[in-house]
Amino acid sequence: MQGRLSAWLVKHGLVHRSLGFDYQGIETLQIKPEDWHSIAVILYVYGYNYLRSQCAYDVAPGGLLASVYHLTRIEYGIDQPEEVCIKVFAPRRNPRIPSIFWVWKSADFQERESYDMLGIFYDNHPRLKRILMPESWIGWPLRKDYIAPNFYEIQDAY
Amino acid sequence: MAATSSSMALAKFSMLGYVGGGRKEVGKRRGFSISAAQQPEVQEPQEVEVQEGKGLKKEKIKPKGTTPRPVEKQVNVQSKNMGREYGGDWLSSVTRHVRIYAAYIDPETCAFDQTQMDKLTIILDPTKEFVWTSETCNKVYSYFQELVDHYEGAPLTEYTLRLIGSDIEHYIRKLLYDGEIKYNMDARVLNFSMGKPRIMFNNNDIQPQDVQ
Repeated sequence: MQGRLSAWLVKHGLVHRSLGFDYQGIETLQIKPEDWHSIAVILYVYGYNYLRSQCAYDVAPGGLLASVYHLTRIEYGIDQPEEVCIKVFAPRRNPRIPSIFWVWKSADFQERESYDMLGIFYDNHPRLKRILMPESWIGWPLRKDYIAPNFYEIQDAY
Repeated sequence: MAATSSSMALAKFSMLGYVGGGRKEVGKRRGFSISAAQQPEVQEPQEVEVQEGKGLKKEKIKPKGTTPRPVEKQVNVQSKNMGREYGGDWLSSVTRHVRIYAAYIDPETCAFDQTQMDKLTIILDPTKEFVWTSETCNKVYSYFQELVDHYEGAPLTEYTLRLIGSDIEHYIRKLLYDGEIKYNMDARVLNFSMGKPRIMFNNNDIQPQDVQ
């Protein structure tokens, strides 16, 4: 159960873990946070020039936080571009993941939203601050252990 | 020289801004007092000013103590720091029945002095949805004072003000369910935003007669 990219990474001695394929047959890889920036640069040089989406989720209560990247290789004259999905897991205590803003610029707002909702700190992000919630908000709303404050208008506004 | 330095400290203070703790902190950091924004430490409670005619009830409090101690009335209040160069915004928590501003608001002229951020002003039920007596007003005010004391030391942010305002809204709902206040049937908007009126909502003493 090893995809082409995984084999290529193994050939070049890059540490990763294969997580199989998703329902569309797209290869999924897990990469450690400390390796992620260098591997992102390598993948960009390899040809993945398009960050299709970046998202984050909370794996389990008390568990890890995950940051997910979908990369696509866009070239002329190709109707089935190569795609890959990268998952980076970070511990809940100190979730730090290197930002890939300097590799794929479109990660800017996506990483800010992931920071806002799940509290993942993206190192070297140029302006990491809340994007959806008010800046004085306390807590990370999409974490599984988040308790919503008992604000009046949120549940009573009509 | 003294005047310039004190005004600088005031500006810095209003930027940092802490509920309760700020006043002490400034006093510790520099030796001088904060001029107009400062009130003497000991202050006997005054009557809460209630203006039935305008339907606008306000109270200025100092963030210390348990019973409501309104800030003494000021004269010649000017609207300050409302412009765009100060951000064009103010620290507030606005819900339907409770508006809390971190500023001094003059009760008559509604001048909005944002330089005095060590004071919180509550405007209770500006749309006049409930019928208020001075007694029920005072209950809400003392609860407000209690909450402000509880949140002393917390950063003066919108989030903290919103926590306070929401707690007061829940308290008003409790007052309504206990039958201490009731809906004002002459209100402009009659949508019963805290639930439809009913008889004996929270009264457990009286048993219904028809249940056998």
